[in-house]
Amino acid sequence: MDMISIPVVNMTPILPEIFLSVLAMVLLLLNVFSPSGKKSYLAYISFIGIAATAVLVGAGWGGHIESFSGAVILDNFATFFKMIFLLAAGLTVLISDQYMEREECNHGELYPLILFTVVGMMLMASGTDLMTIFLGLEVMSVSLYVLAGFNRNNKKSNEAGLKYFLLGAFSTGFLLYGMALTYGATGTTRVYKIASVVGQMTLPSANIMLLAGMLLMMTGFAFKIAAAPFHMWTPDVYEGAPTPMTAFMSAGPKAAGFAALLRILLVALPTLQIEWSQLLWVLAVLTMTVGNITALRQDNIKRMLAYSSIAHAGYALVGLVAGNGTGTAGILFYMLSYAFMNIGAFAIIILVSKKGETNGNVMDFAGLGFKRPLLAVAMTIFLFSLAGMPPTAGFIGKFYLFSGAVQKGYIWLAVIGVLNSAASVYYYLRVMVYMYMKEPTEEFEWTQVTAPVALALIISVAGSMIPGIVPSFILEFAQQAVKLI
Amino acid sequence: METLFFAIVSLVAIISAILVITCKNPINSALSLIMTFFCLATYYVMLDAPFMAAVQVMVYAGAIMVLIVFTIMLLNIRVNATQKHSHRILLGSIIGFFTLINTIVLLVKSQAAKPVGPFTGDMIRNIGHSELIGREMFTTFLLPFEITSILLLVAIVGSVILAKKNI
Amino acid sequence: MHVLTEYPILTILIFLPLAGCLLLLPVWNCRVSARPIALGVALLELALSVWLYVSRQDLPGVQTKLPGYLLSQDAPWIPSFGIRYTLGLDGISLLMVMLTAFTFCMALLVSWNSIKEKTGLFLTLMLTMEAGIMGVFLALDLALFYLFWEVMLIPMFFMIGIWGHGRKIYSTIKFFLFTMFGSLLMLLAIIFLHLLHAQQTGLATFGLHDLLKTQLPADTQLWLFAAFFLAFAIKFPLFPLHTWLPDAHTDAPTAGSVVLAGLLLKTGSYGLIRFGYPLFPQAAQALTPLFYTLALISIIYASLVAFAQEDMKRLIAYSSIGHMGYVAIGIAAWQPVALSGSILQMASHGVTTGALFCLVGMLDERAHTREIAAFGGLWGNIPKYSFFFLLFSLASLGLPGLNNFVGEFLVLTGTMKKSPLVAALAFVGIVLTLIYTVRLVQEVLFQKERQPLPLADLSLREICILAAFAAVAVWMGIHPAPLLDLVHAPVQLLTGGGL
Repeated sequence: MDMISIPVVNMTPILPEIFLSVLAMVLLLLNVFSPSGKKSYLAYISFIGIAATAVLVGAGWGGHIESFSGAVILDNFATFFKMIFLLAAGLTVLISDQYMEREECNHGELYPLILFTVVGMMLMASGTDLMTIFLGLEVMSVSLYVLAGFNRNNKKSNEAGLKYFLLGAFSTGFLLYGMALTYGATGTTRVYKIASVVGQMTLPSANIMLLAGMLLMMTGFAFKIAAAPFHMWTPDVYEGAPTPMTAFMSAGPKAAGFAALLRILLVALPTLQIEWSQLLWVLAVLTMTVGNITALRQDNIKRMLAYSSIAHAGYALVGLVAGNGTGTAGILFYMLSYAFMNIGAFAIIILVSKKGETNGNVMDFAGLGFKRPLLAVAMTIFLFSLAGMPPTAGFIGKFYLFSGAVQKGYIWLAVIGVLNSAASVYYYLRVMVYMYMKEPTEEFEWTQVTAPVALALIISVAGSMIPGIVPSFILEFAQQAVKLI
Repeated sequence: METLFFAIVSLVAIISAILVITCKNPINSALSLIMTFFCLATYYVMLDAPFMAAVQVMVYAGAIMVLIVFTIMLLNIRVNATQKHSHRILLGSIIGFFTLINTIVLLVKSQAAKPVGPFTGDMIRNIGHSELIGREMFTTFLLPFEITSILLLVAIVGSVILAKKNI
Repeated sequence: MHVLTEYPILTILIFLPLAGCLLLLPVWNCRVSARPIALGVALLELALSVWLYVSRQDLPGVQTKLPGYLLSQDAPWIPSFGIRYTLGLDGISLLMVMLTAFTFCMALLVSWNSIKEKTGLFLTLMLTMEAGIMGVFLALDLALFYLFWEVMLIPMFFMIGIWGHGRKIYSTIKFFLFTMFGSLLMLLAIIFLHLLHAQQTGLATFGLHDLLKTQLPADTQLWLFAAFFLAFAIKFPLFPLHTWLPDAHTDAPTAGSVVLAGLLLKTGSYGLIRFGYPLFPQAAQALTPLFYTLALISIIYASLVAFAQEDMKRLIAYSSIGHMGYVAIGIAAWQPVALSGSILQMASHGVTTGALFCLVGMLDERAHTREIAAFGGLWGNIPKYSFFFLLFSLASLGLPGLNNFVGEFLVLTGTMKKSPLVAALAFVGIVLTLIYTVRLVQEVLFQKERQPLPLADLSLREICILAAFAAVAVWMGIHPAPLLDLVHAPVQLLTGGGL
């Protein structure tokens, strides 16, 4: 028996993941020993932990360390996305405590599960091996299946969890099959090695196995980012899941899916760019159109935001179709600003809705403008940012994405994107019309705005407005992050 | 000879897979699934992966399917007597049929006719499949292996939260 | 150095109203103290713009970088995109700036009593809109211009929706979506132009005067101009993109209508003059017949429809479409006399229609109706009001000696040199304008009243408003020379060989 050489292991790239996993396990233990009903302190601990991890991640900016013989990497791309995930998780933790108390499903395991989801997402972003990405995706997905069905008393939540699980598992099958085919065509699962093997192939686009692998992997990821026509699970899952979890699901996993997709398509398969950008063109147009048109008809605001998140994934796909520096940096910027505005909007929905998820309709926002003016102003800012009006972050994001598309010559795609943007303004305006221009039909119940929720709202408002007025700061980071491609 | 064997096993696998979704009695479905898994294990043996075959039988057919059969028996699952035929089945069949045609075309045109890579059949027979798997798992795929532990933890915690009666 | 050049006066013009919004925060709910603060800020803005006008000869000009401009300001903003914070003031912008400041003072005065609830929000929206419109008239960086272009929509949307009447929600959503649709296509054109310029010269910029140097092949130019034209034509509004205007004007509160008609419509024509024509001269020339046609149809169609209206506000809204048609003809001719006439018409239409909307609003406050049929014989009933009503109606139909005449006359004269047929057809429009205005005046002022309505005559505040409008109108009508001199140099630069 000859000696096996243990690979050189540099723990630095996965230090944040280790930290968060340990923290999550500690929280699990603490949860066991704490009396039921008094779980709020777990939220505070997890928030502090997330903040500490953010500092840890930020310290890694500018580095470029490969570890585990190329399975994982620490680079600017990964760091940027990790910050997005931590931001989404932090905001979610802030807004979930009050909601879970209200819905009487405040089990302490919520916070460890959120942390594990973040661990999974971070592995997806920093993974440079198909297996790492896959397992990161699995960790994230399994945690999210549980989080979607967390409210055991609510039938809709059960339905959401089950639907998400079934469809997610199904899509994972596609993804894994694609990865297996890619391995079969190239002989390796390391993303950088795949790039060199494909680069040396005489005619990569004629290699059916490689193409099939790419196609199936894209299908799997398309499920995760809720691109049409793989978006069917999104409205039901978003509507049924507990609202803070919906907020988290709309921001974090979408960004994670894009991170992995970017890594695979732009690092491993750049030679096949013509093929996959054609496919993504169709996907982008379908996604934007389906998302926007269906959102126009929705009355339930959670469903409306679900369809709008489908549309936003479509806009981000436009940036991916472009595939150039501007487009991909635009995706990064867009994912960051989208986290802010969407989680903020969901936070307001939590405050407006009552126990048992009543008041989930757009109509229930009537009169909010003058009964709760600050909340209404915040909601207006989020809605304008989602619609892409200047001077919000949403506008700069869309500006960047469409610039990238125009730069690469995809004029028609940009035109379709812009028209979709115009159409989407209608359903965002509808909420504002109800907030400011209609009288409330029933008495307003005062949902106390607790300090954590207020903090989350302030952060979200700042994140939606400031990158709209002075975006250079974040844009520089985004541009540096995509230099690896 | 090998091709004939492969054809017979594939036939059995396909038939039992169809039985899984068409049987009315859930126990029959589960048993058909076990049959499918045994066929898959046979594939593994034909691909020079005896360890995988053993693991497939032990874990899938042995542990997981037994668990499923126990659950069916404990929950006393009865099947719906009335099954409505909806138009969706037609649509699904058409899509499935086209997918099948595509897959067949794909396979026929595929370039990978011969095994490639360092892991040849002789090497596996000489060194031993388990050792090769072990080597890869603890060197190339060390990190994914460790992540799996977190995945298991999440699954356990999740199933407790979702299913336990009083928490 | 003049004192005005030592301070960033252009930035102050834009941000002073926003600072005023901050001042309003402590007195948000107190109507009595909020209104004077807002009015004070607006008057300060007006004083600043008049001071600029008065000292325009002493402004050094920025000959080297921006020939023809009086003042400019430049600062980096978003280097990653190449967007700079560039503002510029020339004769045309100065005229528009003065019009803006004046209109907002009048709008605030006219809504003094009629806005009873949520006044703090109303005043904030007004001031924000003032800042936005100032920005539109001063911006020289295309991206900055686009930002202000979109931003000025938001307060108007809320204003119509909250304080409007009738089908206010339908009107305001239609207004917003219509305008956004056009502007988004313009955004794409801006991005494309920027990228093309970067490709050709390596300089990634959105500044107007850099982009003017881009080489544009003919068909590219046509598409880009079409996108710009669409956005501006919606704002003019030109037939057939005018359908948002009657609803928005009719259902808006009085102050909203005044600002809409007086200023928002002008942003469209201003954009065409400042950006559309200089950037894409050949395409603009190619589209001139279409432009003429749409303008003529607007004039004739709007005048005919105005004649049939029963609601006073709707009638004046349609008359706005007609008057802006003259502005359009002047721009389409792209000839110094016609263009000057156009610009002057922009200013005078703002004054006249602003005054008319104020008058209708005052009547609405008293009688709670805007139906023409409900009124009659006002000449004997409320003489002071009727005097102003007659004055501004005469101004609207272009009576010599009042402001609209100068603009229309110059437009027609200039167009006659370029295209006599169009000028001749435009004359028809004048006759039609005459018809509906006379009908309005006759039915409201002179006809025997059908039901006597107890109407109070004008209060002191209202007299001040209308007298201010009247003074400006008469001054512009009798002595337009200073204003014509003001816009002479920029117009020469624009039409006679470009910048």
